[in-house]
Amino acid sequence: MTHTELLVAIALGVPVVGGLVAWMLRGRASDLVALAAGMVGLVAAGGLAVLALTGEPVTGWMDLVRIDALGGWTVLVVVVVGVIALAASVGFLDRTDATGRLHTRDRGLYWMLLLWFIAGFAGVPMTDNLGLVWVGIEATTLVGALLIGFKRDRDAIEAAWKSLILGSVGVGFALLGTLLAYASSVAVLGATSDALAWSRLLAIAPELDPGLMRLAFVFALVGYGTKAGLAPLHTWLPDAYSQAPGPVGAVLGGAKLAVAIYALARFHLIASGALGPAYSSGLLIAMGLLSLAVALPFVVAQGDVKRLLAYSSVEHAGIAALALGFGGRIALAGLALHLLAHGLVKASLFVSAGRLTDAAGSHRIGRLRGSLERVPPDARAFLAGSLQLSGLPPSALFISEVAIILGGVAAGWGWAAGIAALLLAVTVAGFLFHVVRVSTGSAARRPDRTPGPRRRLRAGVALVLPLLIVGVLGIWTPAPLDEAIADVAAVLAVAP
Amino acid sequence: MTAAQIIETCSVGIVAIGVLLVITRSISRSIWLLAAQSVLVGLAALGVGLAEGEDHLVVGGLLALGAKGVAVPVVLFVMLRTTPMRVERSPYLHPYWGLLVAVLIVFAAQAAVAGVHLPASVAGERALPAAIAEVLTGLLLVMTRRKAVSLLIGLFVFENGLAIVAFALTFGMPLVVELGILFDLLIALGVGWITTRRMIAVTGSASTDELRRLRG
Repeated sequence: MTHTELLVAIALGVPVVGGLVAWMLRGRASDLVALAAGMVGLVAAGGLAVLALTGEPVTGWMDLVRIDALGGWTVLVVVVVGVIALAASVGFLDRTDATGRLHTRDRGLYWMLLLWFIAGFAGVPMTDNLGLVWVGIEATTLVGALLIGFKRDRDAIEAAWKSLILGSVGVGFALLGTLLAYASSVAVLGATSDALAWSRLLAIAPELDPGLMRLAFVFALVGYGTKAGLAPLHTWLPDAYSQAPGPVGAVLGGAKLAVAIYALARFHLIASGALGPAYSSGLLIAMGLLSLAVALPFVVAQGDVKRLLAYSSVEHAGIAALALGFGGRIALAGLALHLLAHGLVKASLFVSAGRLTDAAGSHRIGRLRGSLERVPPDARAFLAGSLQLSGLPPSALFISEVAIILGGVAAGWGWAAGIAALLLAVTVAGFLFHVVRVSTGSAARRPDRTPGPRRRLRAGVALVLPLLIVGVLGIWTPAPLDEAIADVAAVLAVAP
Repeated sequence: MTAAQIIETCSVGIVAIGVLLVITRSISRSIWLLAAQSVLVGLAALGVGLAEGEDHLVVGGLLALGAKGVAVPVVLFVMLRTTPMRVERSPYLHPYWGLLVAVLIVFAAQAAVAGVHLPASVAGERALPAAIAEVLTGLLLVMTRRKAVSLLIGLFVFENGLAIVAFALTFGMPLVVELGILFDLLIALGVGWITTRRMIAVTGSASTDELRRLRG
């Protein structure tokens, strides 16, 4: 076993086994095992990401494993979001336990599912096999359904059920797309597992059957578009995000988008090689604009703070699809930065929103008014994160969104970039209106107690650190990160 | 019997069972039909594997027979025993209309793939339309049924359609991918079971009519 294979085994195996052990334990022992296993897995995954971003693609296990710069970047997003989710989970479990709604075995069950969920997302960008990409994404859909329904009340079960059925059917279409791509490559390469390797498909793209590849991309767009939350395939998403526990919402909001866009990008690159870039780019831009347009009224007229964040995710999925469709180094570098910054901010926001709603006992924006007075630390993080998510400087999302819009203009999609900028501006205004309502006003209850040092540390990792990073990245990008972003853009720009 | 003939023969049976599934209101009968359809899918893989000397298809076919033909129906029957309602009393689409739509789906699938250029490895002309028809029939069941178990049946019919697409186009996927898909299928079954149990515990019913509060 090579060093990289060992790292992959640790990154995926330790969380899976650690999750099982945590499930068998109770109370704090379960927390400790899960946190240790989760962190070991994330450190190993982070190591793989660094290797892939600083050198040649990481390969292993008869070429089933291949992590290039794009894969490494996606793993990096999953890792940072995973750390936030782990740090926030102990607090979530303690708060739920304090309400008496946590069953004896629930703590271990939660940890097991969360670790598998994060490991599933981390594993997808590690494989050079489109079939296994699908298997990993479908597995996260299924495990995610149990996490979404974790609270076991009527609304949580409704959201879980919708996520299970709509998610599985939607992602099923991606399998159809994968099968069609395989059929096309088998005609060139023969029936080997190589015929599903995205690296091989990319190399032989001009020889692939255009008719099959056209269909394959459409089905992949439907399938992975459902996962990403692109309109009109997003209907499961607001329910799922609003009912999921805060740390699970963090993973859904932060990591899922990056992984779904990763899968879409692989198909986009292969389809572009087979058909030329116009076909898949046009579809991505259409879906991107539609997502921005659909999210707008739901953001403006929203009354539920978690659904507000969910529709913001539909909007950001649209931005990512637009960037991928625009192509060109500027928009694609913007996309890479956007996925990382969005992952960090959205994860932090789901955690802070979860803490606010737990404290108020309601998701309704009207009931959350005066949060700055009632729960100052969480409300400050929520306000700061919302300002960053809106793309107000200093925020890396400001840089990324400007790059994507300008990149669209530079790539000859000026009209689409103009419409996107207009839709974004109105959506941001509506979003910030609700954020101000949540933050200001007088609180009906007196402020909460000041948290102890351990809780402060966990809250710092989950809430403050991500926002600091995104703020710094909005002003200055370290040279290694800049190079990594350029490498990711280069991989995404392979299409002629 | 050639691989193409095996796939075509199984496809005819699979499509016929799909139509019967649409017009059947009894959930237990639907589970039996799903089991029969899944057995045909497994036999198709097994038969093609033996005819073509493809070991991975033989293994995949045997696993599919065990998982989809036996394990899934058994678990669905166990689930059904715990649910208060065992008949789809009022599906969104009346069975008579359902029959019409199911037949239209079969013809539409035939027409849809008529112009598609298929690669040389294609097994038979009837297989791909049958596969598309089953994908659409599964979707129809998911969209028109109200009971949790019926919806899961629709999901598995959809998956059977995808499995036939795989055989029709390429004589199946590599074994490691087939195993992964089967693994996901079993997880879907487990998650569906757990979520249905929770649904019954909270709402007292396994009907999705009780789950319509989240909007906007």
